Amino acid sequence: MSFLRPRSWTQWVRRLCQAVFLLLFVWTLVVTHLAQVDNVPPLLRFYFQLDPLVLTATWLSSHAVPAALLVAFITVGVTLLLGRVFCGWFCPFGTLHNIFSWLRSRRETPTPPETRSPWQRAKYIVLIALLVMALFGVHWIGVLDPFSFLYRSGVTAVLPAIQYGVEDASTAIYVADPKIGPFRATSVSEPVYRFLRDQVFRAPGQAFYGSIGVGILFVAVLVLNWVKPRFWCRYICPLGALLGVLAQRPVMRLRNEESLCNNCGKCSTACPAAAQPDKRGDWLPTECFGCWNCVAACNFKAISFEFRSPFPRPAMGRLDLSRRTAVQAALAGVTGIFLMRLTPQAQEKNYNPELIRPPGALRERQFLQKCIQCGLCMRVCPTTALHPCGFESGLEGLWTPRLIPKIGYCEYNCNLCGQVCPTGAIQSLALEEKQQVKLGLATIDTTRCLPYAYGRSCIICEEHCPVPQKAIYLVEREVRLPNGKTTVLKQPQVDPDRCIGCGMCENVCVFSDRAAIRITSANESRNSDNQPILPMAPESSESTPYGS
Amino acid sequence: MMKKTSRRTFLGITASAATAAFIHPVGFSQENASPVDMCVARWQGETSAYDDAVVASKLTEQAIQALGGMQRFVSKGDTVWIKPNIAWNRTPEQAANTNPDVVATLVRLCLEAGAKIVKVGDNTCADAKQTYPMSGIEAAVRKAGGKMVYVDNNRFRKMSINGEVLKEWEVYPEIIESDLVINVPVVKHHSLSTATLCMKNYMGVIGGSRGQWHQDFAGYLCDMTAFMKPRLCVLDAVRILTANGPTGGNVADVKRMNTIAAGTDIVALDAFGAELLGHKAEDLPSVRRGEARGLGRADYRKLAFREVSVS
Repeated sequence: MSFLRPRSWTQWVRRLCQAVFLLLFVWTLVVTHLAQVDNVPPLLRFYFQLDPLVLTATWLSSHAVPAALLVAFITVGVTLLLGRVFCGWFCPFGTLHNIFSWLRSRRETPTPPETRSPWQRAKYIVLIALLVMALFGVHWIGVLDPFSFLYRSGVTAVLPAIQYGVEDASTAIYVADPKIGPFRATSVSEPVYRFLRDQVFRAPGQAFYGSIGVGILFVAVLVLNWVKPRFWCRYICPLGALLGVLAQRPVMRLRNEESLCNNCGKCSTACPAAAQPDKRGDWLPTECFGCWNCVAACNFKAISFEFRSPFPRPAMGRLDLSRRTAVQAALAGVTGIFLMRLTPQAQEKNYNPELIRPPGALRERQFLQKCIQCGLCMRVCPTTALHPCGFESGLEGLWTPRLIPKIGYCEYNCNLCGQVCPTGAIQSLALEEKQQVKLGLATIDTTRCLPYAYGRSCIICEEHCPVPQKAIYLVEREVRLPNGKTTVLKQPQVDPDRCIGCGMCENVCVFSDRAAIRITSANESRNSDNQPILPMAPESSESTPYGS
Repeated sequence: MMKKTSRRTFLGITASAATAAFIHPVGFSQENASPVDMCVARWQGETSAYDDAVVASKLTEQAIQALGGMQRFVSKGDTVWIKPNIAWNRTPEQAANTNPDVVATLVRLCLEAGAKIVKVGDNTCADAKQTYPMSGIEAAVRKAGGKMVYVDNNRFRKMSINGEVLKEWEVYPEIIESDLVINVPVVKHHSLSTATLCMKNYMGVIGGSRGQWHQDFAGYLCDMTAFMKPRLCVLDAVRILTANGPTGGNVADVKRMNTIAAGTDIVALDAFGAELLGHKAEDLPSVRRGEARGLGRADYRKLAFREVSVS
C-alpha cells in the first residue's frame, strides 16, 4: 500500500502545517495580553495540554493532573501510528529550529549524508534522568520541555526585547520629532507604537528579572542549529525522546525501494534528523520526524512512506540506548535530586523572605512538583509582578514564578495567574477567595519611612492599600525635626490580620530603590509553618502585653 | 479668569437658558436665569424610581445649565479633555472613581456645544487597562461619543510650573494642549489631605514620582492648580466615599448624596466638597492655602451661587 509517492507538494503541505502551528503558538503568546478576569482567551494552554511529557512528569511528581492535560493522549496516539510527526509537522519549537537550520544551509555547501551519532542518545538520557527525578518528586521537566522553554523564552526574553526596542525607538522619535518637509516621522512611528502598545504589549515597559539566563539559553539553542541542523530536536529535546520511545514501531514507516535506489545518499543529506533513510533496514523510526524531506529529495522515487502492521517488527534501526546507559541516566537523575535539594529550604523549615509566590500557589514542595516554569502566569499578570526565579527556591525552583512587589503588585481584583496555570500549581480561585489569600506580610522599615525617619509626611502606602478596610493604619506621633522643633506626623503601621501581602504599598513607596515598606513571605496562607503572627484576640486590645 | 462674553455667546446662553427654563420650569421658577459661577444641583425626593444614569445626567445637565450651559466654556471646534478620577480598579458603586454617567453627560454636553473631539483620560494609580473598563467610564464615554485616551508613561514631558515649591514636573502634553480641561473628581475621604477633591484630581495630569507630593501636599496642589488655570470643575457627589479613601472598596463607606456641584472657582468647590464630608472648609490645608494664594475663595456662598433642586 505504498500510495504516498515522492512529490514535492508534500513539502509545502508540511510547511503550511508548520506555519499554522507556529503562528497559533505566537498567537497564544500575543493574545494573552487581552486576558481579563472574566474573559481569558481560549487555547492559551493548548500546547501544554498536547504535551505528553508534561502529563507524564507532572503525574509522576504530584500524582494528580488536571483533566485537561489528558488531551496529550492524542499526541501519544498519533505518535504510535505515525511516528514523530509531531516533531516534524506540529511542534512550533521544531519549526523554529527548521527555519534556523534552513538559514544555515543557505550559507554552506551541501553536507555529506549523515549517519547516526551516539550523541543522539543524549536526549534519552535527559528524558530518563528527568523522569526519575519526577518520580522522586523533583519536577524539573519545565526547564527542558520544549513548550515551556519556548513559551518562557517568548514571554520573558523575546517579547520584552521587542517591546524595549519599540518603546525606546518610538520615544526617541517622539522626543526628537524629525521632519522631512511637511512629513513628520511621528506620523508613522506613533500609530505603529500605539498599535503594538494596545494589541501586543501587556504592560508598559514590561521586562523581567531573571530573564537574562532564559534569553541567553534561547539564543544559544537557536545558534546550535549552525552546528547541526535541528540540534535541539536531535540531541536535547526530552519530549522528542519520549515520542521517540513511543515511535519504535510506528504503523507508518519508510520504504526504500532497492530496485530504484542508486545509493546517492541525497535522502540522508536532506534528513534533518540523521535518521538514515538511505540505510535500508536501518532507518531510525525513533529519530525520524516524518518530514518527508527524503521523499522529496530522491530523484528516482525510491523512497516512500507506507502503512504496515507493527507486528512482527520489521527490519528497522533500534533505539540507541543500552540498559547500562539507562541505568546511568537514572543514577544521574538521582544525583540531580540531591543537587536540586541542596538548600536549607528543602527542609521546609527555612523560608526565603523574598520568595513570594502568586496567589493560590500551593505549599512550596507541592508547588514545585507541579510548576512547569512555562511563564503563562508571568505573561498574563497585568502589573508584571511575576518574574522567573533565579535560585530563590534553590536550583529546583529555577524560573518558577515569584512576585517582586517593587516592580509589580498583585492586583486585588485579578486572579488570572490561577486561571491560566496549565498544571494547577497555582490554583484557580474565585475572586472572593483569592482576595483572602495572603501572599506575605508588609513590614515597615522605620529607618527609611519618611514620617518615622525623616520628619516628613507621607501616607502613600496607606493611600494605595487596596484592602477595603485598609491593612495599613496611621498613628499620629510627635516627631522632633532637625531644627529642634516638633511636629505631629501620621506614621503608618501594618495590621497583620488584614494585610494580604499584595505588595501595592511596596510598589508605590516613594523610595524607588529599596522601599521603606516591604513584603516578606511571612504569614503566607500556603505555608502554615510560616505564619508567626497569631490573629489578634478580640479582648487583647484591653489586656496587658502579658495577658491577664 | 472668565472670558469676556461675546454677543454670540450671550445670545447662545440666553437661548439655552430660556429653553432650559421652558423644559424645567421647577428649577428656574423662583430665580432669574442669569449664569452663576457655582451651582449645586441636588436631587429632591426618592431616586429609586429612577435609573442611576438618569439621576446623574439630570444633575449634571442642570448644574452646567446654571453656569450658562456648556457653550460658555466650549467653542466650536474645540478639543476638550475631561479629567475624571479613574485611578482605581473599582466599580461605580464603590465610589472610588468618578460616576460614569456624570462623565458621559459632560461628553455629550461638550459635543452638543460644538467640541470637535472630547477626550477622557487619567493617569491612574492601578493599571488603566483594568480601571477604565471596571469604572464603567470607558463604556459610558464611548457610548456618548467621546474618546478614551490611555495616558502613556513614555509621553510625559517635563514642564516649567514655576510655583512656590513646584518648579518643574512631568506633565501630559496632550492634556495641556487641549482647549479646555474639565476637572471632574469624585468626593472622597483621604487620610492625609482629609478629602480628595478638585485640586487633588490634577495629580492625574502628571507623571513622575507623584508620591513625593505628600511631603508638602497643599503646596504642590496649589502650584499645580495655578499651572492648570481651571475654567470648569464639576464635583461628583452622586455617591461619596466617607472612609477608607481614596481606594475604598467597601460599599458601607459609600454615601449616596445625589448632588453635583459645578463651577469656575476650584477653591469654592473644594470647600463645598469638604462640607459634604462633614468637615469645615478651613480644615483642608489646600483650601486654606489656595484661598491665601488667590486661587479662589472658600466661602462659596459669596460667589454668584445658586442651588438647584432636580427631580
